[in-house]
Amino acid sequence: MKPRVYLIILLLLIPIQASLFNPLSLGGIKPDLALALIYIIGLLAGPGEGALAGMGIGLLQDIGSAGLLGFAGFTRGLVGLLSGLLGRQVLNISSPSNIVFLVAFSLVEGVLTALFMQIFFGSVPFFRMFFSRMLPQALYTGLLGIILLRLINDKRMLGRIRRRTLKKEL
Amino acid sequence: MLGFIKKHKRSFFILFLFALMFWLLTVQVKSGRFSFMERPVLAVSGFFERTITAPFRFVGSVVDGYVVLVHTERENRRLKEELERLKLENSATNEILLENERLREALGFKKYYPPTSVVAQVIGGDLSPSSSTLTISKGSGDGIEKDMAVITPSGVIGRIQLALQGTAKVVLLSDPGSTIAVRVQRNREEGLLEGKISHCALKYVSYYADIQEGDLLITSGMDGLYPPGLPVATVVKVTRHEASAFQKVVAKPIVRFSRVEEVLVLRK
Repeated sequence: MKPRVYLIILLLLIPIQASLFNPLSLGGIKPDLALALIYIIGLLAGPGEGALAGMGIGLLQDIGSAGLLGFAGFTRGLVGLLSGLLGRQVLNISSPSNIVFLVAFSLVEGVLTALFMQIFFGSVPFFRMFFSRMLPQALYTGLLGIILLRLINDKRMLGRIRRRTLKKEL
Repeated sequence: MLGFIKKHKRSFFILFLFALMFWLLTVQVKSGRFSFMERPVLAVSGFFERTITAPFRFVGSVVDGYVVLVHTERENRRLKEELERLKLENSATNEILLENERLREALGFKKYYPPTSVVAQVIGGDLSPSSSTLTISKGSGDGIEKDMAVITPSGVIGRIQLALQGTAKVVLLSDPGSTIAVRVQRNREEGLLEGKISHCALKYVSYYADIQEGDLLITSGMDGLYPPGLPVATVVKVTRHEASAFQKVVAKPIVRFSRVEEVLVLRK
């Protein structure tokens, strides 16, 4: 993807996730736009670009929040890398299995967060956190991801993105 | 070897970045959070958040102000009744306050100055999976400073982490980096309430302390950040292990952060 697309994503992602997604909140759970976007970038642009985009977006989220710098950068970089590998080897953008992988990635990230907190901050109510936050958020993010993928799956848009990626690889 | 590195330089670069992130994390666990680039990122995101939410707030205020007039008369009557009741309660409270002041003076206690507050609107929510924050529409220009307490009429929300001219970032009490000195309202047992993202944990409560599910936790004021007596959380689970000197207490914040639209920032 073009650098200016990434610049727009980096500039607008935090405000959109932080303010525009508030009305979408169900019982305090919001879909994770950043994660869905990184998954799609990985799927379309490959593991390298997916990992870099994931790290960049995650790091920006770390800076904009109160969390330790590098945590979201690390986990989201992994999501970008893995979705890129999946996109290369197994999946295509229109596959219905994307929802399963996106939910799984969101859950894995939640488990990593809990593990990290358990190691560095101690006593995490894991099962309470899993059922009250991680699982509903993962399902909600999966749903958002599928909607985004449907929008992107529009042949014209997909063709344009693919042509650009192909040109770069050549 | 050099050829192999050259061929896979992009992969090595990505691997290096992952290692760098991991190293950053381990360093911060020891020395505390880095606040690298925090101000410019909050300034840019705060600007966009204000711009994005402004039309929604405008439409909301129009709907509240002009369209939904159907129940106004009934609401007005109810509010008038509530005002009368609160006036009565207020005069009784004022009497108790005056008596309290006289007694404090007689005992030579320091005079208590209640904090003044600034009302701010919430313009942004959670960003990172490992933290809980809010962005509000007022900042240092309105006298807001770092570590000021942020509350709603129902209870404590958190504290100011960073204040810029027209925006401030609030760390919620469910954030892993947040700690509040609290006491159980029922029996004055003290403890430290730590954030655990979706819930909070009450730490350093002795095995023998009487903590029950449903107990209300209020600020004790011992941390010097929050005034004493503000509702914070409710105990939802208590576990005792004979091997541990402390109880494991899980608490749920009183305020549902996702529904907060306006907050009060308490000036020191």
